Amino acid sequence: MAEPELLLDSNIRLWVVLPIVFITFLVGVIRHYVSILLQSDKKLTLEQVSDSQILIRSRILRENGKYIPKQSFLMRKFYFNNQEDGFFKNTKRKVVPPSPMTDPSMLTDMMKGNVTNVLPMILIGGWINWTFSGFVTTKVPFPLTLRFKPMLQQGIELLSLDASWVSSASWYFLNVFGLRSMYSLILGQDNGADQSRIMQEQMSGAAMAMPADTNKAFKAEWEALELTDHQWALENIEEELMSRELDLDGMFSKELPTGIF
Amino acid sequence: MGHVKEINVLIIVFTEMRDKLRKWREDNHRNSEQIVDVGEELINEHASKLGDDIWIIYEQVMIAALDCSRDDLAWTCLQELKKQFPGSQRVKRLAGMRLEALEKYEDASKQYDSILQDDPTNTAARKRKISILKAQGKSAEAIRELNEYLEQFVGDQEAWHELSELYINEHDYGKAAFCLEELMMTNPHNHLYCEQYAEVKYTQGGLENLELSRKYFAQALKLNNGNMRALFGLYMSASHIAASPKVNATVKKANVKYAAWATNQINRAYQLAGRGTKENKCSVKAVEEMLESMQITMS
Repeated sequence: MAEPELLLDSNIRLWVVLPIVFITFLVGVIRHYVSILLQSDKKLTLEQVSDSQILIRSRILRENGKYIPKQSFLMRKFYFNNQEDGFFKNTKRKVVPPSPMTDPSMLTDMMKGNVTNVLPMILIGGWINWTFSGFVTTKVPFPLTLRFKPMLQQGIELLSLDASWVSSASWYFLNVFGLRSMYSLILGQDNGADQSRIMQEQMSGAAMAMPADTNKAFKAEWEALELTDHQWALENIEEELMSRELDLDGMFSKELPTGIF
Repeated sequence: MGHVKEINVLIIVFTEMRDKLRKWREDNHRNSEQIVDVGEELINEHASKLGDDIWIIYEQVMIAALDCSRDDLAWTCLQELKKQFPGSQRVKRLAGMRLEALEKYEDASKQYDSILQDDPTNTAARKRKISILKAQGKSAEAIRELNEYLEQFVGDQEAWHELSELYINEHDYGKAAFCLEELMMTNPHNHLYCEQYAEVKYTQGGLENLELSRKYFAQALKLNNGNMRALFGLYMSASHIAASPKVNATVKKANVKYAAWATNQINRAYQLAGRGTKENKCSVKAVEEMLESMQITMS
């Protein structure tokens, strides 16, 4: 339906849209540095380190086992998967699910996570809502249903206004999620300002549920290794190699590189 | 030649010196004399310009100084690091290394034990303890300790390589081959591991091992066409198999073909190497004669 285009005051762009972007971005950067300061050292036990390396070795055996002779591959597979004394069969780690009550460091971690991420978002969201209220900030490029109106048009009491026109609060939230890629560009991956990742972690259950996973991980590796077969990559290597002449270009040049300098 | 290079070092600008040190650090070069020269100059003259880089340079120069028996320099570096990072385990390890260099193995061992008490997962301290055993010539104990270490830290490639070297020195080629297999699995594109494995198999001898060694020499060549050692190895293993009385005719024929191909490539390489030089004809002829003399009579 043809709707009358609303023409917004360009002052809105200058004094609302851009400041909100800047504020969100700066708050994100500050959050990142604060989280670095508040980070507590993660102490790993010897067993955890050892287990993770063993899992990696098993994975490499599955992936690159084809480069070693068949006998060696079978020997290692036997070591891991043997019915009587295979490593994956026999090793049972003590499972201690890290609930927030029993593990005090986990509790403080969660609190710190909440303080640095959720609290600023709420505070600043509220402040922006209060400061920049009563007018329409921007228009989202796709049509929305009327149900979105109360959520996106806080403070604007026009029944006939298209739901695509949103208030500054929703522009703020849009920024919070949209600037995530900017953060990875500027702060590098795995940065503390990456809110959605943190929220995903919280949603997917207790963080660092590693001990329980170890037994499951062992079982998974056992199954995967059982299924792996040995396809020796060197079966026809001589034919492949000798099908053409060796490429000796560049091997012998008049000026040999002089040592380190 | 060495002296000319040293003078060139001193003339080079500060940034070049710092960049060279960084390159050596990243590539893990062990050119300790050069590091000591460049590093000492950098520390004494340009300390202020280095900023926070200076700490890692102190570490690098200290280790190089220990290599060159420059205990004075090593002590200075250690003191600076201790002042800046008191209670750091990394600095404690450096202190232990200095004790090792002074052959005070007991004290060094105690130092590493104290690190391990605080942090049982510290790999550097464990590896230094094994190095102490190696330095004292107790290779059997070193092998045992290294095996225990590897049981815990299966992924430490440096350690696997070290263990393979220790086994080769003890002539336990079967176990050395096992270690090299681990390395080949984790680094399938590294032609040097393939070549080393092939050499160990060749040394073990026996028809099966010779076949394996020929295959792995071929693999090394496939990964790096310029690996002359692998090329010679391929020739040798193929010739040996062909000359063995136990093989049947088809295998013999195949191996003779491989050996002939290898000979061609060797000749080509030597031709290319000596392009345009007077000695070329002599060296090519020498190679041909050598190959003929190595020809084990095919009966």
